[in-house]
Amino acid sequence: MEERSKAIQDRIRDKTKELLSKKAVDLIIGFGEGSLPLRTTPIFIRSPEDVDRLIWNSFCENNLATYLHKFAQFKVGLVVKGCDARSTIALSLEKRFKPDQLFLIGVPCQRMVDRRKVKRAMKGEILRAYEQGDQIIVEGEDFKKALNRNDFLYPSCQVCPHRTPTQANILIGDPVDESPITETHPEIVEFEKKSPEERWRFFEKEASRCIRCYACREVCPMCYCNECFVDSSNPKWIDKGPSPSDLEFYHIVRAYHQTGRCSGCGACERACPMEIRLTYLTQKLNLDVRELYNFEIGIDADALPPLSTFEIDDKQEFIK
Amino acid sequence: MKLKLDKKDFKPFLQTLMDEYDLFAPVQLAEGVSVFRKIDHPYEVDLSASNTQKPAKEIFFPQSETMFRYEKVGNENRMTSMEEVKRERILLGARPCDIEAISIVEKVFAGEECTDVYFLEKRKKTTIIGLGCNHPLSTCFCSSAGGDPFLRAGSDLFFIDLGEAYFVELLTEKGMIFHKNKFFKETNPKDLTLVKELEEKTFEKVGFSIPVDGIEKRLNLMAESSFWDRIHEKCIGCRICTYLCPTCHCFDIVDEGEHQRGQRVRNWDSCLSPLYSLETSGHNPRPTNRERTRQRIMHKFNYFPKNFDQVACVGCGRCILYCPVHFDIRQAIIWTSSKRPKRFGGGTI
Amino acid sequence: MGNEIEKTWEPKILAFLCNWCSYAGADLAGTSRIQYPPNIRVIRVPCSGRINPLFILKALQSGIDGVLVSGCHPGDCHYISGNYIGRRKSATLKRFLEYLGIEGDRVQFSWVSAAEGGKFSQVVGEVVQDIKKLGSKKRFVKKENSRSLGVEGQEKTF
Repeated sequence: MEERSKAIQDRIRDKTKELLSKKAVDLIIGFGEGSLPLRTTPIFIRSPEDVDRLIWNSFCENNLATYLHKFAQFKVGLVVKGCDARSTIALSLEKRFKPDQLFLIGVPCQRMVDRRKVKRAMKGEILRAYEQGDQIIVEGEDFKKALNRNDFLYPSCQVCPHRTPTQANILIGDPVDESPITETHPEIVEFEKKSPEERWRFFEKEASRCIRCYACREVCPMCYCNECFVDSSNPKWIDKGPSPSDLEFYHIVRAYHQTGRCSGCGACERACPMEIRLTYLTQKLNLDVRELYNFEIGIDADALPPLSTFEIDDKQEFIK
Repeated sequence: MKLKLDKKDFKPFLQTLMDEYDLFAPVQLAEGVSVFRKIDHPYEVDLSASNTQKPAKEIFFPQSETMFRYEKVGNENRMTSMEEVKRERILLGARPCDIEAISIVEKVFAGEECTDVYFLEKRKKTTIIGLGCNHPLSTCFCSSAGGDPFLRAGSDLFFIDLGEAYFVELLTEKGMIFHKNKFFKETNPKDLTLVKELEEKTFEKVGFSIPVDGIEKRLNLMAESSFWDRIHEKCIGCRICTYLCPTCHCFDIVDEGEHQRGQRVRNWDSCLSPLYSLETSGHNPRPTNRERTRQRIMHKFNYFPKNFDQVACVGCGRCILYCPVHFDIRQAIIWTSSKRPKRFGGGTI
Repeated sequence: MGNEIEKTWEPKILAFLCNWCSYAGADLAGTSRIQYPPNIRVIRVPCSGRINPLFILKALQSGIDGVLVSGCHPGDCHYISGNYIGRRKSATLKRFLEYLGIEGDRVQFSWVSAAEGGKFSQVVGEVVQDIKKLGSKKRFVKKENSRSLGVEGQEKTF
């Protein structure tokens, strides 16, 4: 894994150097070294000399498509994983940028490591972490441990259906096998076995921690409304404070607004400072849309979003 | 006065506090997530986290606070103001950075020119029990910001974890009231040596690597610098840093109500939200993320020191830990200075 | 005391009826003197596709025990395809709410044409029965003028 990451890193640097030298793009958005272990950070490269700051490893967790709104006036070269590429396609369907404005540098994703799960597994603070083969080595003041990366993947990464970017301008590295685990979505299957009471209690408990910081909304590439429903005062849907049912309302609606648009990247869940489970909501919506309308965002660049179109014989067994 | 509290007596001790006060202490909401809450049972208290997610300022400046309630009864309009604090309170387990931050917020809310009764009532009626940091994180830079992991200032009592017991120091008049608490014991010289060792070790660990000193003057020259064009790029304006920051104090006042009754509420707000500075005319003096990021850093390190002679940052490191895009305020501070340690990416943004 | 209240509890149900078909159907039920339970409160909308899922959620949050959305039969929509879009929104929302733990029968959908006064009253009767079985709605309700779980811990009511 580590070797593959290094090879990809080198090729990303080569390719971006080429793009910037030829002035094919104004700006490259990719991942760079973080100042903390287990973290990378989005970086913005404008000159070919700086491409060596770009890196690739199992901590490249951000969905960089969210920056397309901010840099709409530039020609951008974007480093994307499978989920990120599908988000950019979703955005292009919604006409958020001009067709030739984007150059997608696609990297087939090795599944990203959940840094919070790693942190929870250790007793003290992790001061240094690096990849070695298929392992993550973590070091603290008085410990050093090797962890199997497959035990510490993000929930969204574990069930990712499309790790290889579709529709990328260039693919760095060989396409990866899409594993069968994605078909069953074990977490959702387990969850649906619970009674309505249990399911509601779980959701209520998760939402009760919410502090309405809206990080989930800002980090999501698909949340770009000039006026979000929470800021609407006429009609006023919910109040601004953290009243329990308003917190639930916010999360239900934010997830629902992703119907047919969510690529399942999991950025919302990772951004949350209170560690609220969010992907189990959006994954269910993605599953439903696939089952009901045979639609998956980001696969076919021309397929219309499911809620803006219809078929005469859509399922309607629930209608009296 | 220096005393000791055995850990085996800790829960009964908490009960003695709860008998006479409303006790606020960290509780764990989920693994790795803790906030300050009012305690109903001593077993809820969890002091194991190096710091809570939400800062201790919540006790005095809650995220959502009712200012007054109104009700129409017949022809009468009844209003009840809500600043009264019925019972004396204790804030237990706040770290020195959070406590220093409370005094920073107090400069704004209980200053010479204006007094916020909601904040002040709570502050007057609260006894603060600080907790020293035996294990500061690598993201902590309290020493650079004028504090230290065992800073006593602002606390009425101060606890230091010695392993089997807590070292207790009674610092103020409010603290001295507790000297008769039946669970406090005499210290012995070994305890005092241990305290001194801990203080020295952690002080060294946190260090002075962040050039907060003199930042006000450096920023004076940077109002239109191209630095701001770059530093804001990765910020997505999610507001986590402002909500978890112990010194941030922006708020928004809204009315919630129906025909017969309602309330006026104050909620936390954030300068990073585009709506925050949006004026009725439609003009926004901080139209893009660039202006808002600049404002945040300038407010903390330039405007606030100009008004109050102190930077509005205590080095708690929460903004670094929880930022989804890993914006590191230490890097921003370093970039404004000529001393740029390699550890923080040197001079590159 | 509690039991008495249970016996006399009547669910409150909000019915969003599309102007051209279902609302006319409800009118027909009325003029034909067909009896149906009085538990519904009607809101007339131009088309079942007008329904913003937030309407349904807001209703549930306000304490409404159930919501009925009714529109024209597929192919008969006055706006050609509004009900088709509404059908997709309804399907995804219903599944999502059930998944969350809000009982499936609380939000129901029907096609009722302007000529189907009888069907309308039948649908209303069924919906009221279903919701009576579920009991009054407790989940997701916003307590009036309540303040949230802040540092004070418990939810404070007016």
